Amino acid sequence: MNIKPIVISLSLVLMSGSALADDDCDDPVAQWQPRENLRKQLEAEGWTVFRIKVDDGCYEVKGRDPNGRRVEAEYSPATFELKEMEREDDDDDDDHRDKPKRYSEPTNEDRVPRKGIVKGRPSVTVE
Amino acid sequence: MMKKILFALGLATVMALPAYAQARQVTFTTQLKNYGGDGAYLAIYLTDADGQYQGTLWISGEKSKYYKHLRDWARGSGLNQAEYDGLTGASVTSGRALKVTLELEDALIDSGYQVRVDTSVEDMRDNRSDVVVPLTTEGSGKTVSGRGYVQSFVYGLK
Repeated sequence: MNIKPIVISLSLVLMSGSALADDDCDDPVAQWQPRENLRKQLEAEGWTVFRIKVDDGCYEVKGRDPNGRRVEAEYSPATFELKEMEREDDDDDDDHRDKPKRYSEPTNEDRVPRKGIVKGRPSVTVE
Repeated sequence: MMKKILFALGLATVMALPAYAQARQVTFTTQLKNYGGDGAYLAIYLTDADGQYQGTLWISGEKSKYYKHLRDWARGSGLNQAEYDGLTGASVTSGRALKVTLELEDALIDSGYQVRVDTSVEDMRDNRSDVVVPLTTEGSGKTVSGRGYVQSFVYGLK
């Protein structure tokens, strides 16, 4: 018996499983609501919606929340349940443009076992 | 007793020395164009002269689900987390400059290796090998232009 195709398809199934991130949505397409409904619901809550697109099975909304902050949020397309909300304060925001941002914290340097060519944790700035 | 201490001391020195002697500090500066989109994802990595992936230097962009858009790097690294663990940070906004300083093995310099940068921006095109530049003592401090979102790229050896 030739088991090669079985092995290949099995490993493909396993690989696709590990590639899925936790914040994906998996609502069946038949149950999805139109994205216009989500837009109306959010605008009723005081949002300004710039765009809604589908990303990894979720509705991904870009816009301003009722407080006027730029946000990117993911909703499950069937129930409109909020999956992830992210503030976008790294663009359109000129007040701290002059200050270089530092975000490399050497705290977990010893904890991370890494193979590769870089020794330790790099120091990184954005100007 | 004395012999034992000397032996331990010698062993410690032998083990510690290569880690210091062979490391070289390198600073990579990537200036982005004003492409006017969302923050860019960048992969700065090393290949051999044929473009074969050798190792990751830095990944800008926090969501690993988008890393596949850094296409050549993704293929070379197999998107294996062990390749980039501890080497990631925020994406880089249009028009800004990313400066990464790290320690590299001396043996990687002047040995035919290339520094490459792949870039990607949401809803815009992906650039494999936005920058390709050999990693040499001679090339240190020389600015090169990118083909995609990268305006200019330069590395400095210390």
